[in-house]
Amino acid sequence: MPNPTTVLRATAVALAVALAVTACGAGSRTAAQSATQVACDIPAPPQPVTVNVLAYNSSAIDPFTNTMVKSCTKSGVTLNHEPIDFGGQVQKTTATLAGDSGTYDIVETYSYVVPQYASQQKLQPLDDLVAEFDQEYALSDINADMRKALSYDGKLYGLPMQAQMYVMAYRKDVLDALGVAPPTTFAELRDVAAKIQQAGEIEYPVALPLLASADISTAYDAALGSLGVDYVDATAMRPNFDRPEAAKAFEELRSLLPFMDPEVTTFDQPRVQQQMYNGSAAIAIMFSGRMNDLSQPTNSRFATQFAFAPPPSVAGGDTLYNVLSVDGWSIPTNTKVDKALLFEMIASAVSVDASRASVPAAFPAREGIVTPESSPYAAAAQQSIGKAPPAEPYPWTARIGNDTRSVVADVITGAVPVAEGTARMQEIATEILAEYQP
Amino acid sequence: MRRREFLALVTPSVLVMGGLLVLPLHRTLEWSLERVNYGEAGTFVGLANYGAALSDPRLGQAVLFTVGLTLAVTAALIVGGYLLAVMVNGLGRSKPWVLGILLISYVIPHVVGGAMFSWLFDANFGGVVNHLVTLVTGQDVLWFTDPWPNRVIVALNTIWFMLPFAMLVIIAGLQGVPGELLEAARIDGASAVRTHWSVIIPSIRGVLGFVAIISIMDILRTFDQLVALSPQAVQLGNESIMLYIFNVAFQDGGQQLGLGSAVNVLLILLIVLMLFPFIRGIAKEARQA
Repeated sequence: MPNPTTVLRATAVALAVALAVTACGAGSRTAAQSATQVACDIPAPPQPVTVNVLAYNSSAIDPFTNTMVKSCTKSGVTLNHEPIDFGGQVQKTTATLAGDSGTYDIVETYSYVVPQYASQQKLQPLDDLVAEFDQEYALSDINADMRKALSYDGKLYGLPMQAQMYVMAYRKDVLDALGVAPPTTFAELRDVAAKIQQAGEIEYPVALPLLASADISTAYDAALGSLGVDYVDATAMRPNFDRPEAAKAFEELRSLLPFMDPEVTTFDQPRVQQQMYNGSAAIAIMFSGRMNDLSQPTNSRFATQFAFAPPPSVAGGDTLYNVLSVDGWSIPTNTKVDKALLFEMIASAVSVDASRASVPAAFPAREGIVTPESSPYAAAAQQSIGKAPPAEPYPWTARIGNDTRSVVADVITGAVPVAEGTARMQEIATEILAEYQP
Repeated sequence: MRRREFLALVTPSVLVMGGLLVLPLHRTLEWSLERVNYGEAGTFVGLANYGAALSDPRLGQAVLFTVGLTLAVTAALIVGGYLLAVMVNGLGRSKPWVLGILLISYVIPHVVGGAMFSWLFDANFGGVVNHLVTLVTGQDVLWFTDPWPNRVIVALNTIWFMLPFAMLVIIAGLQGVPGELLEAARIDGASAVRTHWSVIIPSIRGVLGFVAIISIMDILRTFDQLVALSPQAVQLGNESIMLYIFNVAFQDGGQQLGLGSAVNVLLILLIVLMLFPFIRGIAKEARQA
């Protein structure tokens, strides 16, 4: 029998080594050494310049950020990028854009928030710079719809980098064994899920990111959008939560609960991915940026069994249960760095070479980059993007989405009846809209 | 000590305390009476922020949850810390090693520890405890969506990372108990339990009070671990006061610095209220000494 003292010492040493190794790996500030090197022909500044880049870490964003940092850091110019999660980026974006001077010179933005910041003149309009550098960086090849998604009041405020739309991932082996096709409506999704449940191997076959403190409002927006209704009737400046579709969106989402993990309202996208990796779910609907991870054999023994399709529509219409989110690079109005210099950096980060290198982790904004040969979920993403609900490019959209989130969570968890929830949401949205009345 | 030497020694402390404590406190009080956004001058709104906070039932629930957690965990820390300290204090050469290992949970950042702790209860990430509980009881416990199981894991996690501190302080106290007292108790034939209850615990009452004060202050400020352990805290009524402040004032780029400051002032008052009996006891002892 080993001496207890020796065992204790060995355990302590092992723990110390584990902690030391963990500490070495944590908080690395170096952009991926494997990032693609692209042309970043910025002129040498007369004085050394430090550029701070704010972008959250994800497999879809990192290729662009790392490429920019690696390619544009050269004599006289230093680019800094600190790893940060999405929630942290949202906070820092608000703070850096608030005053006359900010901490960041380039910020990653997305279509949901651009109208809010653009309407407050916190972002630099990019149209003149696009015209100046169009030829050099082939900016005309960037998808027109994605440019529109990052525009407000006819002006471009973000140079599109990549888009994310919902894609449905499913276990082909499971569906094939049951002889069913991938669902195209919520009714079919319920039928397929019920058959998988009855087969007995997978108790909770459907996985959606419905985290009560984040993703749940996006899910509700997607359901409402699929039913053809926006949050707000922008012409009448009136919220739409008192329309029958607002209640139906809740009922349809709640109808999926029997097929999902009872704790699904604590699931964000990584946790949904984990369910698919484990084989505890067979069908997941998430943003396309999460799909490449599923196809990696290092992540899951089911990697070769995953197939991809567009998400279903809620009630059978042409518009799918979907959200199109376009990410891009913006320049804060309050930066002290030369804006043309910054624009060249973001233009090189979305150049042809950078965009090509980001596939299949991302769905770049440039036309013709994503093909079924270059990305396993390309076909699904391309079908999905064409059938997404139209964007709501208004400054109040993000505020309404954020402020009604806890009510959405209360209704989906069953704590609040649907009618009461939609009435509360109507009240909250009406108060917000009152601030924007002409 | 000469006046000049006294001033030279005291001034740095006063400056640091002023800059890091008095100034932020003054600013918090000021902002609590204003409507403030990042980068803008505040607008005086009187007690409106206090009114908004106190009329929100979520704050009441957050206070109830936080105070309940504080009382339960502080009691567990004092009892558990004492038992652990007595056991570790009795070890021989292995004591430094055991102490070192026990302190690991204390130095791990709360949010990291919370995430690791959540995996013990999450079937998606192995869920060892979850699995064992299901094996023994035949029941699936919803640790993250049922209020009471969720409160249990939050409390267990808090105890897990704070217990080493309590133990360490109590060990220091135990080492200060006069040997003659213990010897006298032994000669008088006192049992081990009687010796602890009537001799050791009264001797280290001040140390136990110190553990209680630090624990109350720390637990009333519970925040980071809830991110991982209670992702549905608002719906469950398991939102701590600090999480409430973050959610209403800062979440999703919110900028309600005035409202956040008002709740902070209320939290300071609550901390003072809960510490009052301990501070009064310590002051009384100091006067008697």
